[in-house]
Amino acid sequence: MAIHKAVRNADYAAFKEYSGIINDRARGLNTLRGLFRFKKGKSVPIEEVESVEDITKRFTTGAMSLGSISKEAHETIAIAMNGLGARSNSGEGGEDEARYIPDADGSDRRSHTKQVASGRFGVNAAYLANCDELQIKMAQGAKPGEGGQLPGHKVDEDIARVRFTTPGVMLISPPPHHDIYSIEDLSQLIFDLKNANPEARVSVKLVSEVGVGTVAAGVAKGKADMVLISGGDGGTGASPLSSIKYAGSWWEIGLAETQQVLVQNKLRSRIRVQTDGQLKTGRDVAIAALLGAEEYGFGSTTLVTLGCVMMRACHTNACPVGVATQNPELRKRFSGKPEHLRNFMRYVAEEVREIMAQLGFRTMDEMIGRVDMLEVDAAVDHYKAKGLDFSKILMPPDRVDGEPLHCTGKQDHDFTLSLDPDLVNECKDAIEAKKKVVLERKIRNCNRTVGATLSYHVTKAHGSKGLPDDTITVNFEGSAGQSFGAFLTKGITFRLMGESNDYFGKGLSGGRLILLPSERSTFSGFRNIITGNVNLFGATGGEAFINGMAGERFCVRNSGATAVVEGVGDHGCEYMTGGTAVVLGPTGVNFAAGMSGGVAYVYDENQLFDTRCNLEMVDIEPLIEKADIRILKTLIERHIVYTDSLVGHRILDSWEESLPRFVKVMPIEYKQALKKIRDQETQNTDTASVTEEVFV
Amino acid sequence: MGKTNGFLEYQRTEVLYRPKEERLKDFKEVTIDKSIEELVEQGGRCMECGTPFCHNLGCPVMNLIPEWNDSIWRGQWKEAYERLEITNNFPEFTGRVCPAPCETSCTLSINDAPVTIKQNERAIIEKAWEMGWVIPRPPKTESGKSVAVIGSGPSGLAAAQQLRRFGHRVTLFEKNRKIGGLLRYGIPDFKLDKSVIDRRLEQMAQEGVLFETGVTVGEDISIRYLRDKFDALLFTMGAGEPRDLTVPGRELDGVHFALEYLGRSNRKIGGEPCEERDISAKGKRVLVIGGGDTGSDCVGTARRQGALEVSQYEIMPKPLVWEKPWNPVWPEWPQILRTSSSHKEGVNRDWNIDTVSFEGKNGKVSVGNFKRIEWIAAEKGARPVMTPVEGSEFTLKVDLVLLAMGFVHVEHGRAVEAPGLELDARGNIKTNGYRTNVEGIFAAGDAATGASLVVRAINHGRNAAEAIHTWLGSK
Repeated sequence: MAIHKAVRNADYAAFKEYSGIINDRARGLNTLRGLFRFKKGKSVPIEEVESVEDITKRFTTGAMSLGSISKEAHETIAIAMNGLGARSNSGEGGEDEARYIPDADGSDRRSHTKQVASGRFGVNAAYLANCDELQIKMAQGAKPGEGGQLPGHKVDEDIARVRFTTPGVMLISPPPHHDIYSIEDLSQLIFDLKNANPEARVSVKLVSEVGVGTVAAGVAKGKADMVLISGGDGGTGASPLSSIKYAGSWWEIGLAETQQVLVQNKLRSRIRVQTDGQLKTGRDVAIAALLGAEEYGFGSTTLVTLGCVMMRACHTNACPVGVATQNPELRKRFSGKPEHLRNFMRYVAEEVREIMAQLGFRTMDEMIGRVDMLEVDAAVDHYKAKGLDFSKILMPPDRVDGEPLHCTGKQDHDFTLSLDPDLVNECKDAIEAKKKVVLERKIRNCNRTVGATLSYHVTKAHGSKGLPDDTITVNFEGSAGQSFGAFLTKGITFRLMGESNDYFGKGLSGGRLILLPSERSTFSGFRNIITGNVNLFGATGGEAFINGMAGERFCVRNSGATAVVEGVGDHGCEYMTGGTAVVLGPTGVNFAAGMSGGVAYVYDENQLFDTRCNLEMVDIEPLIEKADIRILKTLIERHIVYTDSLVGHRILDSWEESLPRFVKVMPIEYKQALKKIRDQETQNTDTASVTEEVFV
Repeated sequence: MGKTNGFLEYQRTEVLYRPKEERLKDFKEVTIDKSIEELVEQGGRCMECGTPFCHNLGCPVMNLIPEWNDSIWRGQWKEAYERLEITNNFPEFTGRVCPAPCETSCTLSINDAPVTIKQNERAIIEKAWEMGWVIPRPPKTESGKSVAVIGSGPSGLAAAQQLRRFGHRVTLFEKNRKIGGLLRYGIPDFKLDKSVIDRRLEQMAQEGVLFETGVTVGEDISIRYLRDKFDALLFTMGAGEPRDLTVPGRELDGVHFALEYLGRSNRKIGGEPCEERDISAKGKRVLVIGGGDTGSDCVGTARRQGALEVSQYEIMPKPLVWEKPWNPVWPEWPQILRTSSSHKEGVNRDWNIDTVSFEGKNGKVSVGNFKRIEWIAAEKGARPVMTPVEGSEFTLKVDLVLLAMGFVHVEHGRAVEAPGLELDARGNIKTNGYRTNVEGIFAAGDAATGASLVVRAINHGRNAAEAIHTWLGSK
């Protein structure tokens, strides 16, 4: 409790008491850093050491999503960190656009680091455009290899709105990124994000484990600007008990390995390294610096400074201090202030300075990677400490060609094959004055992520509402590279004649994509795959009309886009939470697995669909409601208008016979939630909010 | 874990008291027993905190509070009792007289009203007595070792029961006629009915604890003899030396220590023959000096004896008046104004008053002289300085003055002196892991710590029993 006192009363003595307790406990509990001690250095006067203000700029908070924690807590953290010139992390779960603009009093509620996680919740062009850092979460320290789940009763209207989902419906964040199956895919996502926001740096969050150094080297070569080595002792209160402890390994191990691999492979100079995982005191930060990290994240302690009392009730939505709850009554009890968190960060920095002075470092940069200043504390007397060999952790790496021990330069991001600079140039009037423009372009498969930077500029100028429909139209011809139309925003239409590689329409944010085979092609689209895997992954809005079949994992994590396609591979519509998918042909297996929202209409010609659909969360219904029929028919009609689809013509020509072959795939929970919302609207009593209604 | 969001659905219900007019006519308990059935929702308010401050910071015996709260909510009352019994030998005492630091450290005390932990505890144990779940648990085997426990307050009682259950032969020595120490002779019946102690002693007797009453160790029986006859000695005789008031007129008749007064009243109500003269407040103007719990007990006792008027003066400033249900310094113990049931029965309370002298007629006290003081804040860390307020002198007509200004340390009688026990700076028996400087002699409770809570004494007694048991095993 000393920490509550310290930050609330701005009492550095109380903070020292707290850090003393924590550091002692580190020894007692045998954290690895508890077994280290600093070597004697040639001390320097503390006045000559880098200032607290400079050091706190290296601090960041753990990725805790709005949804897992309350709006009040989330915004307080952002205001506190932004005030220090440091960064807060949005976590996975979107952000209210109102927060992108500073308040009248100057408080900046925008999360400067925006996370892009496997669920892609709330990730649209505007989200990506409004930050200084984009972080790809590959894993999470507290539950590596597991996805997250937000129970339905925590998904209130605000949360649902920023995540583009339905109130009351449970949200599943899948364990893997569906667009990353190899390091090459990761490199592609880094490239996508770099295009979606050229101003922001891109970081990759990894969890400490044996071999993480190799992965980090891959991340460096994949041109991430920063790699985060997250410790396994993170403390998320909402994780299953089995995942909270002993799941990942200590950050000390992963960080040391990362530092060694990066230095030995001459990669260290171009990538920054961050670490987190139960960092609590200046001593922890100093050890992390000596082991090779230049930035430091604080998760649990951040919340504790704002009133968290370690209830471990985060998953029950009953947090009595208003930190990890969405209950409006409990949120009123939140008592944290930005000053509290700032005090904590400053005190940690002050403690770091004291250690720096004692060790003889005037700047943090000098200190980073100086593992030679650490040794094993022989005085720690614990039976478990016997026989431990730290030589591999405390080994200074070979410095090939004088490779520095910290980041000194920048990644060389290569945009020479990008089509976007030219498009942005041609669309200047369209963006500024909303003047319609139509362009024709050839495209080759080395032209990747077309449209992301164009969308960035549109979003920067107009927010997520974008431009009026069809303001910018680009007709491409050829074979598109990966991530064609990624994060395409409203007002932009891309028509591609030819075929597309993987990730077509990734994160589609309101734009329109039309894909049809080349006029010269000899095959019929509906019998052949004309676009690769993972189309429309994480799309939040917009439309796609595909005159042909798509590969595997079509529309995974779609939360708002409308798509018409003439056949899909396996795992179609997996984890979908919103939007509409129309499949006019065959599907692969495992269709609709984990689908908790949105609707799919499937033309089940052979009556085999029920064997291919994963029925764990959805029902297959016949198409009888007039509203459904109208939606479906309109979409097919538009599909014909855009692509002149043969299949579309055939179905409409024999509509009476075709209609009974269509089935509607409807998530069970979603259906109940929609019904409640409808009842609510017709009753018009507004006595209870939707979430309460749905989940009592 | 109680009920998720139960704390939002249910309000805390406070302790119920008998009407003032009724309760002042007798010495029976002022509170009305609440059945466990009435407290189910209160159990449901518990949040099963990941870090239960009630248990690991508030409660000195580390009661498994969240667990039995949950059992209450689920209607598993026997389980609740079984969990309660693990950590607390005498929940019926603490359920009545504990100031409940568990409740001020309850996580709900941050911004809401705490769970009714104390009421819950009392209801569980009363249910257990009613259902016959409280049964003697004599040891399965005898160790052949013997321990003398000297002083039968809560610490001695807890130690005796634990030691007996470990299989040792335990004799509990008490200088008074009956077992119980301060529980019996300090706390008035209106707070703790003595039948509550008696039924517990019955259980302990059946477990095989031997009681030797009316024996003053060091006087009636020598330490040398006890050391010869017993393998270990445990001193739990409390901190009986009261803080005195050295002012002119202190020697007048009618100026008494609080415990003299309370002891005699308790003996009389308990039906014990009283060798000393009765001190009664009937028809008198009573002044209690000292604003603590003992003082409050004097107030209630004097009221019941028919005092004309009762005043209570405290030298320290009036604490913060805090009417909110939460704790302003959570999870720590708040220094706030506490108004007991006795206070509500009628008393003139005042603070910042220093006693100058007493005057009397025919050797009997009749007037007290006082002055008001101020506490001037000193440099950081140092205590505030007491400064008299000029011209603030005043007098009060008094017939009976009761000194309830706390206790300084254990009584330095022959029991302490004869074996040459080392004392600490405050005059209590110096211990290290409950061992004194003399091998084989242990000390616990107020005798070792200075005056404190019943629940701390129980905790101390249990820990000392543990230490003695280990020591006996290694001998």
